[in-house]
Amino acid sequence: MGGAKCSGSCLEERRRGRKTDGFGMNRTQYLCYMLGKGLKRKLEQEEENVVMKMSFPQEASPTCYWLQRQTVLNLSLLKLHSHPGHSDPSLARRVLITNTLRHIQDELRGEGVPVPQSFSSDGSLLSVVDGYRESPAGCGVESHSEGSLTPVSRLEEDKHLLLYLSPSVTRQQPPSSSAIKDSFTSALAEIEDLCPTVGITTLFSSEAGHSLAQSDLNSDESRQTHLDLSEMNSSMDSASSLSDSAQTVFGHTPSLLADFSLDDFLFTEIDSLLFDSVPCSSSLSASLGASKVVSMVTDDFVKTLTGYGNGGSQSALPSNQAFKLDLNELDHIMEVLVGS
Amino acid sequence: MDGDGDGQSRWCLSQVKGAVDDDVAEADIISAVEFNHSGELLATGDRGGRIVIFQQEQESKSLPQCRAEYNVYSTFQSHEPEFDYLKSLEIEEKINKIRWLPQKNAAHFLLSTNDKTIKLWKISERDKRPEGYNLKEEDGRYRHPSSLTTLRVPVFQPMDLMVEASPRRVYANAHTYHINSISVNSDNETYLSADDLRINLWHLDFTDRSFNIVDIKPANMEELTEVITASEFHPLQCNTFVYGSSKGSVRLCDMRASALCDQHSKLFEEPEDPSTRSFFSEIISSISDVKFSHSGRYMMTRDYLTLKIWDLHMESRPVETYQVHGYLRSKLCSLYENDCIFDKFECCWRGDDSEVMTGSYNNFFRMFNRDAQRDATLEASWENGSPGCPLKTWRVSAGSRRKRNEIGVDCLDFSRKILYTSWHPQDNIVALATVNNLYIFQEKPN
Repeated sequence: MGGAKCSGSCLEERRRGRKTDGFGMNRTQYLCYMLGKGLKRKLEQEEENVVMKMSFPQEASPTCYWLQRQTVLNLSLLKLHSHPGHSDPSLARRVLITNTLRHIQDELRGEGVPVPQSFSSDGSLLSVVDGYRESPAGCGVESHSEGSLTPVSRLEEDKHLLLYLSPSVTRQQPPSSSAIKDSFTSALAEIEDLCPTVGITTLFSSEAGHSLAQSDLNSDESRQTHLDLSEMNSSMDSASSLSDSAQTVFGHTPSLLADFSLDDFLFTEIDSLLFDSVPCSSSLSASLGASKVVSMVTDDFVKTLTGYGNGGSQSALPSNQAFKLDLNELDHIMEVLVGS
Repeated sequence: MDGDGDGQSRWCLSQVKGAVDDDVAEADIISAVEFNHSGELLATGDRGGRIVIFQQEQESKSLPQCRAEYNVYSTFQSHEPEFDYLKSLEIEEKINKIRWLPQKNAAHFLLSTNDKTIKLWKISERDKRPEGYNLKEEDGRYRHPSSLTTLRVPVFQPMDLMVEASPRRVYANAHTYHINSISVNSDNETYLSADDLRINLWHLDFTDRSFNIVDIKPANMEELTEVITASEFHPLQCNTFVYGSSKGSVRLCDMRASALCDQHSKLFEEPEDPSTRSFFSEIISSISDVKFSHSGRYMMTRDYLTLKIWDLHMESRPVETYQVHGYLRSKLCSLYENDCIFDKFECCWRGDDSEVMTGSYNNFFRMFNRDAQRDATLEASWENGSPGCPLKTWRVSAGSRRKRNEIGVDCLDFSRKILYTSWHPQDNIVALATVNNLYIFQEKPN
């Protein structure tokens, strides 16, 4: 852009190494990411069936709905906790992300999944947002922002969240069931091959619990698909740093990303991932819809897991309908929750 | 628009401003584009806090073929980065909005704002200078009065044209949150500035006070679910303004009703289509820009995927809805991941309100002809078009690339986006900004 580069060298100096944004990169790196390097999608041979992918409807099988919801949940958490660093975070962006998160959490709660207190109380999330406190403004008088230094208050919030996180982390060791271990682990291996990021999503799902409890499904059939966490942990390398990464979520974002392998998580095409899991769910549906139990399960939830004993293809349909039913019931539940 | 059947439009590239290399300095990224009321001047702001003003080439202004030639008129540093010591946060110098004041005399005035501070700039020309002072030498040294023997009257002598920009007012310390909009009132005395939670009314002459006219900050910040995203004064009624929210609703307020316009007079909101509901429904419904038509009868809103034209008399639903890039609907999760879903696209009206325009990704921009109900996708690229050559229209297809001038959704470059656009108020000239280049297009005269 023609024109004066006002004291160009000192402008550049100021820019060097400042303004961390997004995923723990500094502003320059982030800009490179955004502007040039990673975003152009190349047409590949495998994309021949992209037509099928593009026509993939929103309300597909519940597995993909669950998977997408999990992904969105994780992304939202990641975004909220990656501090931009030097400059003010955008309030609008945080509000939108928080609303999305709340929506998902309400859905999960509506399905009877225990949501940890730290996340269900929106205060802990939004108070991260509110670094701004101001003196009561008179009519039209300028408002000064007073209040505590934001970095310190954020630190306290993070610790608070961390404390809530660790109990739920330890809660993730359900009694292992020998019953369907073999079929489960084989199914798990299949899933892992197809959906490499599932391991990452499950790390976060520990907080939100499992999302597939269908209380209105036939509760007579109790499903014995206890998730063997230790099995999962051994099979997924990223899960090995579970407690580690749980802490690093609120600590140093770069190390979190290092654990997750930045390329895998950030540059994976989420949408094609979802579309890929269409064959995933259909092929696994025979094996008791095991894909639905990939995420970690709390003790409470295990009891409510039902209805998948029939086999996937039949269960897929009623649970799909159940999902649609749930949305209506969810509104009602949300009203109740908001009122309480 | 779609001039003839073979995908040619009547638009052609006139000029490209800015560096053409791929290495983009962050400071050079354009963040605001605005024509003035006559269209003679075109202002751009960038992330480095600079404003560059282009002026229409005077000699060729009347020639239909080269009327869209703009040359650099003035460059100045509008905002500097600041540091908020209380919050230990940097205040970016990035120019968020530029708005011109209607011209009253030889000088031009514009308002520019970053996240926290609004400034009124006066841009004036100087092409004469006084010469022949008695007490002062030409080089500035003073002469002692006792050395004078004769007196002379200083006269103005022509000099090279110099364009000066001077800050006339600085409106500071009135916004706790980031300013996203400014809008000059039709009374030409007041203007509004909007941040995420509040809208303030200023008088241009007074910098030490502003009136708060909208405040949506909840008593408990934990209950915050909605923010203000855009705001504008009505072009003709000085008491009316609108503001858009992150939930996809637009409120019209009348300042005659009360001092604090928290109660809206009209609420423009379209009920959500349940068949397209997703996790991102709220995010993509967030209003990124709101613009009144020149007539004042209609209002246009831009959200992530659509452009909507509203009749101010009807609040229940828009009268026209245009899909900007509906093929992105199935890509929302990826766009959420890479933050593109938060991009705030602007939109603009043609001078006679018959067409509207907005930007998209891959350096595409979309033109919608309201009368003919036709639309076109054009590309801002200095590689693919030579000046004067009509632009070809593009199609985005779901599958892999088929024909010429067709591109698959997965080939789109989401790092190249057109967020800022402005339409000449009287002529068919549009200016738009890619990441660091300014493109000027003109419509062929016939």
